[in-house]
Amino acid sequence: MVRTLLTAGIVVSAAAFLAATVTADDISARAKKLHFSSIVVDTHDDTTQRFLDGKFDLGPRSATGSIDIPRMKEGGLGAIFFSIWIPSKVTGPEAVNRAMTQIDAVREQVRAHPQDLMLATTAAEVREARKQGKIAALMGVEGGHMINANLGVLRSYAALGVRYMTLTHSGNDEWADSSTDKAVHNGLTDFGKDVVREMNRLGMIVDISHVSDKTFYDVLETSKAPPFASHSSCRAICDAPRNMTDQMMKDLAAKGGVVQINYHVGFLNQEYRGKATPEIAKELGEEVRKHCAGDDEGCQLIEGERITREFVAQGKLPKVEYTAIIEHIEHAVRVAGIDHVGLGSDFDGANMPFGMEDATKLPKITEALLQKGYSEGDVRKILGENTLRVMTEVERVSRELHGGK
Amino acid sequence: MTRFRRCFAACLCLCGVLVAGSRLSAPARADDITERAKKLHFSSIVLDTHDDTTQRFFSKGYDIAKRNPDGHVDIPRMIDGGMNAIFFSIWIDGRIMGPPAVQKALDQIDAVHENVRKNSRDMVLCRTAAEVREAHKQGKIAALIGVEGGHMIGNDIRVLRMFGDLGVRYMTLSHFYNDEWADSSTDKPVHNGLTDFGKDIVREMNRQGIMVDISHVSDKTFYDALEVSKAPLIASHSSCRALCNHVRDMSDDMIKALAAKGGVIQINYERSFIDQAYKDASDKLTGGVVAQFDLFKKECGDDQECFGRKMAEKQKQAMEEGKLPHVSWERIIDHIDHAVKLVGAEHVGLGSDFDGADMPEGMEDCSKLPKITEALMRKGYTDEDIRKILGGNTLRVMEQTEKVSRELQAQ
Repeated sequence: MVRTLLTAGIVVSAAAFLAATVTADDISARAKKLHFSSIVVDTHDDTTQRFLDGKFDLGPRSATGSIDIPRMKEGGLGAIFFSIWIPSKVTGPEAVNRAMTQIDAVREQVRAHPQDLMLATTAAEVREARKQGKIAALMGVEGGHMINANLGVLRSYAALGVRYMTLTHSGNDEWADSSTDKAVHNGLTDFGKDVVREMNRLGMIVDISHVSDKTFYDVLETSKAPPFASHSSCRAICDAPRNMTDQMMKDLAAKGGVVQINYHVGFLNQEYRGKATPEIAKELGEEVRKHCAGDDEGCQLIEGERITREFVAQGKLPKVEYTAIIEHIEHAVRVAGIDHVGLGSDFDGANMPFGMEDATKLPKITEALLQKGYSEGDVRKILGENTLRVMTEVERVSRELHGGK
Repeated sequence: MTRFRRCFAACLCLCGVLVAGSRLSAPARADDITERAKKLHFSSIVLDTHDDTTQRFFSKGYDIAKRNPDGHVDIPRMIDGGMNAIFFSIWIDGRIMGPPAVQKALDQIDAVHENVRKNSRDMVLCRTAAEVREAHKQGKIAALIGVEGGHMIGNDIRVLRMFGDLGVRYMTLSHFYNDEWADSSTDKPVHNGLTDFGKDIVREMNRQGIMVDISHVSDKTFYDALEVSKAPLIASHSSCRALCNHVRDMSDDMIKALAAKGGVIQINYERSFIDQAYKDASDKLTGGVVAQFDLFKKECGDDQECFGRKMAEKQKQAMEEGKLPHVSWERIIDHIDHAVKLVGAEHVGLGSDFDGADMPEGMEDCSKLPKITEALMRKGYTDEDIRKILGGNTLRVMEQTEKVSRELQAQ
């Protein structure tokens, strides 16, 4: 989840622009065949926020947002991590309670669509879902503040099916520094290291998106299983603290981890970052608040995206194309290696570039990578196999540590 | 006829044994019935639907794997007593509400999970009747979870579902105090039983396969739950009002209505719920169970160990001073027998309240449970009926609850 109001994203405005982008018809037969026979895993989607109004349903095609069952099918998205997210400032039992209700919301959506969705907690279950022609639904908790500094809560989340936890969101929590807050813990505290060890034991992937560079290195040192960055891009191309330096990506790769490229325009494009000034952010925020209640995150996400595209049309913000995603993937592959890059869209939680408005556009990534000369095997790795490998490895470490079940 | 004669003989015999036991402290003579009872008991699934041992998980001195000098339940004593299936109760003070209640309940659910995991050679977490039977086959103790009080869901049906997903297999609709949507038997009614939301909770419990527990609730809440629920209910730890007139117990009419819907009353061993003289004396002494609770709450806060210690000290002293009468474990048998005579052996079970209540003499901990089997046998109960009371009835309710859940989820 990128808070639109803080970082302001991008995209375009409207149909006129859209006509210029690649359509599904431009996907080659080879790319189509490859894409739809691969397990495409997206490690970060904030669609959960939309569930909370009690009306949104993943079943029918929605006119807004990026994710629903018809569009996941159309885009060949085979496995999706639904993010459990509340703002960093909400802490204590309130945070736990709200996280639980979001986990419930995901599980209810899965229960409501047994023909299309299957809750998965292991790589094998993801593959089994694919075999049954279903989309694997997984869960990640985006921010360590939601465990209320309590390993019991962490274990309860694991028992409820959560398979990764991002150690912080945009603010520090009680035991880890965030990349977008003032450092107070010098990375991970001792308790924070215990959290990482317990995650290893439980078979939860340690997610280092959002955390400070020092927290990242503390994780690398502490974790017995490969971590991943569920939704972060490359700092060498776009200098955002939420992105990873080349050195960090190399070090992550050395531990077997994966950087999952985030499609948020503010993380993809340096010019966009420059133009998305605090003034623009403020203006955007005011516009959004006209349409949404203060705590209606789902509404804010959808309206934020719509208004951002208006700003692009008005020339207040630059237009960023989906090809920027490909640039980041290529850069990360060059730096970290083909086994260490994946997809973490941030759909429904960030501002998407033009041409990647929703899950239906995903085959374009496959098409673009083939055009760049990637082998089919390499494309499959990026689409999902790298993530499944990390999951398998995390599960193995968990068993060794006499974990979980 | 046979039954009557056997009972007559058994009662005489048992009295003799008790008298001898108290005078000479000689063990009971290992006659035929004793041997048969032992064999029956240790080959049965003995399922106790209410144990507050969870509270002990939070005190440093306690280890469920070891024989403890105090309290009522640990693995060695469970093995001694043939108690091979246990509902660990999740309980916090009924006045804690909202997110803090949810958090505390989660801590306790986790503590059960962790204790089971750390003792996985002896125990396994179970969610279904089939899993309990499988655990028994493997020679392991089946650990189950019940939430004792609707206040712990923070007035949020989604939290109820999460508890279900974490393995909670029953919820008592209230504890000592009314919650947001159900009246308690020991509080002033404000909802006239179940509110509309309370009825939704019951329906959701049906859908999730979580048993509806009507111990602790007001009579009106009981009848409301009975009307709404599509699955049979249990009273996880309540005894018979006809023998001991306590609001926490069930009237004969209630027991009949519960049975008519296929439910089970799980007899509670608490002294003041099974013995009228004790209850009367205890009320006089402390003003009743809730007042007593509050008294120690003031002294001990949330320290449950302190709670138990203070309570025991005070009671011991009162007994020595003759202010509280002695209560024999045989009152448990009286309550079982009363309920069986009223509604049949299919609707009675065991809900000790071990580690959460004051046990009668002779039932000091779970190692004493075989005495129940022997006493029922001496009363002339058939082996089949005894097995039902020991656990079969509860497993039947679990199976029916699971079936209703499957049907509702398929809709």
